[in-house]
Amino acid sequence: MLEQQLLNALTLGSVYALFALGFTLVFGILAVINLSHGAVFMVGSYTALALVTRFDAPLWLGMVGALLVSGAVGLLTDVLILKPLRARNAPHLIPMIASIGVGIMLTTTAQGLFGAEALRFPEETLPAGEFVIGEVHVRALEIAIVAIAFALMAALFTILKRTQLGRALRAIAESPKAARLMGIHVEALFHVTSFVAAALGGIAGVLIGLDFNAITPGMGQPILHKGIAVIILGGMGDIRGALIGGLFLGFAEVLSKAYLSSQMGDAVAFGLLFLILLVRPSGLFGRKLERKA
Amino acid sequence: MRFVPKSLTLVSALACAGIVQATDIKFGVAEALSGGAAQYGVAIRNGFQVALDEINAKGGINGNKVQLVIEDEQGKKEEAINVVKKLIFQDKVLMIFGPTLSNSMFAGGPVANGAKTVIFGTSNTANGITDIGPYVFRNSVMESDVLPVTVATAAKHYSIKKVAVIYGNDDAFTKSGYDVFKAVLEERKLPVTTTETYVKGDVDFKAQLTKIKASAPDAIVCSCLAEEAANIMTQARGLGIKAPFIGGNGFNSPKLFEISKLAGEGTFVGSPWSNTNPAPANKAFVAAYQKKFNAEPNQFSAQAYDALYIVAAALKDVKLTGDLNADREAIKNALPKASINGATGPFKFRQAKAKDGKLGGWDADQKPFIYVVKGGKFTLYDGK
Amino acid sequence: MQWLNDFWSTYSTLVFTVGVHSLLALSIWLTLSCGLLSLANAAFMGMGAYVSALLTLHLGWPFPAVLLAGAVAPAAVALIIGTPVLRLAGVYLAMATLAFGEVVRITLLNLEITGGPEGLNGIPLVTEGWHIALLLALTLYGLGRLRRSKVGRAFEAIKEDEVAARLMGIAVDRYKLLAFVLGACIAGVAGALNAHFTYFISPREYGFENAVDILTLTVLGGTSSLVGPLLGATVLTLLPEVLRFLHDFRSLVNGAVLVLVVLFLPKGIWEPRRIRAWLNRRKGGQA
Repeated sequence: MLEQQLLNALTLGSVYALFALGFTLVFGILAVINLSHGAVFMVGSYTALALVTRFDAPLWLGMVGALLVSGAVGLLTDVLILKPLRARNAPHLIPMIASIGVGIMLTTTAQGLFGAEALRFPEETLPAGEFVIGEVHVRALEIAIVAIAFALMAALFTILKRTQLGRALRAIAESPKAARLMGIHVEALFHVTSFVAAALGGIAGVLIGLDFNAITPGMGQPILHKGIAVIILGGMGDIRGALIGGLFLGFAEVLSKAYLSSQMGDAVAFGLLFLILLVRPSGLFGRKLERKA
Repeated sequence: MRFVPKSLTLVSALACAGIVQATDIKFGVAEALSGGAAQYGVAIRNGFQVALDEINAKGGINGNKVQLVIEDEQGKKEEAINVVKKLIFQDKVLMIFGPTLSNSMFAGGPVANGAKTVIFGTSNTANGITDIGPYVFRNSVMESDVLPVTVATAAKHYSIKKVAVIYGNDDAFTKSGYDVFKAVLEERKLPVTTTETYVKGDVDFKAQLTKIKASAPDAIVCSCLAEEAANIMTQARGLGIKAPFIGGNGFNSPKLFEISKLAGEGTFVGSPWSNTNPAPANKAFVAAYQKKFNAEPNQFSAQAYDALYIVAAALKDVKLTGDLNADREAIKNALPKASINGATGPFKFRQAKAKDGKLGGWDADQKPFIYVVKGGKFTLYDGK
Repeated sequence: MQWLNDFWSTYSTLVFTVGVHSLLALSIWLTLSCGLLSLANAAFMGMGAYVSALLTLHLGWPFPAVLLAGAVAPAAVALIIGTPVLRLAGVYLAMATLAFGEVVRITLLNLEITGGPEGLNGIPLVTEGWHIALLLALTLYGLGRLRRSKVGRAFEAIKEDEVAARLMGIAVDRYKLLAFVLGACIAGVAGALNAHFTYFISPREYGFENAVDILTLTVLGGTSSLVGPLLGATVLTLLPEVLRFLHDFRSLVNGAVLVLVVLFLPKGIWEPRRIRAWLNRRKGGQA
């Protein structure tokens, strides 16, 4: 049973990490806690669903669509709402509240367009295939989620560490003003980051939507809570932190459900979170919040 | 600010306004049309609308058209209270249907009861609802009437010696279902190999299911809502668990097998309603619902549909005087005697036992049908 | 007169809720005024609600005693966790208090005595308008006095620059704890009052969303004076009711209002400086 539980923890942790990647990007680079990320996740799911069911598109096209539409939502949020707030030097609570409003609007629109009932992907589109290795069972979809989470993290990490773009982003994360003085197009990169982060959320939405296969307007909320826990655990604004934090949370949850009691799963997760914050506030990899202007 | 909403409720309200007569019968409907419980509230509202169209097409109740004043209580208890008060004191309705969640009924029910107005829940299954008072009615069959029969039938069919249990422990509906299951299992002296829980929003049940698998039960008892149930079954099969499932009220949804396909084969569910029940009243309802909404109805719609018919039947022999308080009393006195043969089968009320000397409200008195899943559909269990 | 009667019958709960939300907004205002971003007040509200409801239901205590218990219980907890937690600052404090809130909510969900997810029902209707009005008035008076006192000045200093304040000899940790505990007190009273006019409480009312909602009430109203939280609470509580005619579009407009206020009224609705400037502009135009 232990091997199966470990595998369960790996897939669950990857799900959390995937969601947290976009969330932590926005926090690290834009210094905003974007509480509409859960809604963006949901938008990705619905987009893929609509493309697949109404336009008979293949799944990969649905995912591309989800990427583009979610990314667009993130971009619009940045251009229309976050940018004016930046210009005004609003304290960090304010964009967070605005993002709540955006989340509500997205959820209501989704309900208006698709109804409140849980929808699902048609049987044919789900990747089939199950593997049995000894006592351990795993589905192809779960392998895909783990693989994609790791691949995306590796890709993002490489971009950040090895490319010009990455250096520019890291400079902005240190200090936007200094970056601007060095000639970096800060505003443009903010837009790019918002797009990419939201697109990542959208992809996570499709994958997790396929896994759970009950798509509702409110599906982003519970994952948002976990996402916040992940980035605190892993350190806000750090890509590795999102992955490690996600895995950590997945393992903590699964193992406490397996060996303590299934009721303790959430309590353990948040209790751990609380304790870690007391002992090491910046999380496992985090940087201090005080950003030099 | 000029505003042109496209919502169905406003359109139907306007349509009704077009034919408003002085003797229109007004009922209030308080359901969760937004928020977490929206999928149930909307299904319920749809069920009411199908029944409303049919009743009004046949001339209404005693020649008077029926009008539904529909409000969104958002699944929040303060909203439930606000909406109930508005319907009673501002819209001056004769009685209220709803709210959707048991929690909301606990908040809004006392208000209606105190104002001597009937409040009729179609989806509240928690314990203690009808203890609120004699003006509280519900036609949602309690788990304690259904589950013992389900478990008995399944246990016999599969020769079950031990079961594992899984349920959602942060939802009043699934938790109270679990309490009933637990009592039933104890009474039948069926040992429980392990009891697992999950919370709303969990996407992954493999941790719990792996534990269940290791405990080798003959069957798995599930007190879950449809979406989670579907995923639990799918993930269980994915882990190699072969044991059949025994489901509570939450399984009553055609969606269940859309999602889980063959993973649910052999599942036993007890319910007063299923979309495959061949009774003529049900077939007519399912057809009418599909025509109007281009979707399949579920148990919530079916019970709402029946509820309006129950009230219509009760009012058939009642003369409404136009005096609001007298009419509300008249409904409260006539309703307990109502009985119909609706989409959910034969129905009548049963008074809840008096508690602490207070008179109780009225519960549903219905026998459940036991269904087993064959070929991805609910089929009536016939002993084989 | 009948109209007034009907109006009160319909809207009394709404008015009570405005009062309770005002208390909650003030509890957050208090912690914010000391520079603390605490998201634990929903959990404290829950503690006050449950403790008071259990005392009423099982022990039949009189209402004033129950209210007192509802204030003291969360304050005691705040005292215990305050010292370690308040060492954190900024967003980290917010997240820690959020995590704490979740732990409280899950505990409430799993205890037998709290009724688990089914909550507590049948709580008698004891709260009356004057209870809320009186407690709100007392809180406003107390906080107003606090602002102008040595304590209030210490809070401001800490909010501006904690390090400098410490260097000046202000007992920073003790003042932060005071703000935290008092905030918990007020939130607990709000919870107790609410439990006794809504007949029913359950853990899901005291979670993450509610904590964020309370924060929104305050920030939207404006934090520069005591008027802000009251205004924010009133506007945001009444808004869904006022927008009822929009039916399915209600939530959409609600969300849009949030975004618009944040964009166009950055320091909240009640911001004396902006209002004065606007008034002056008008006067100047007429001169």
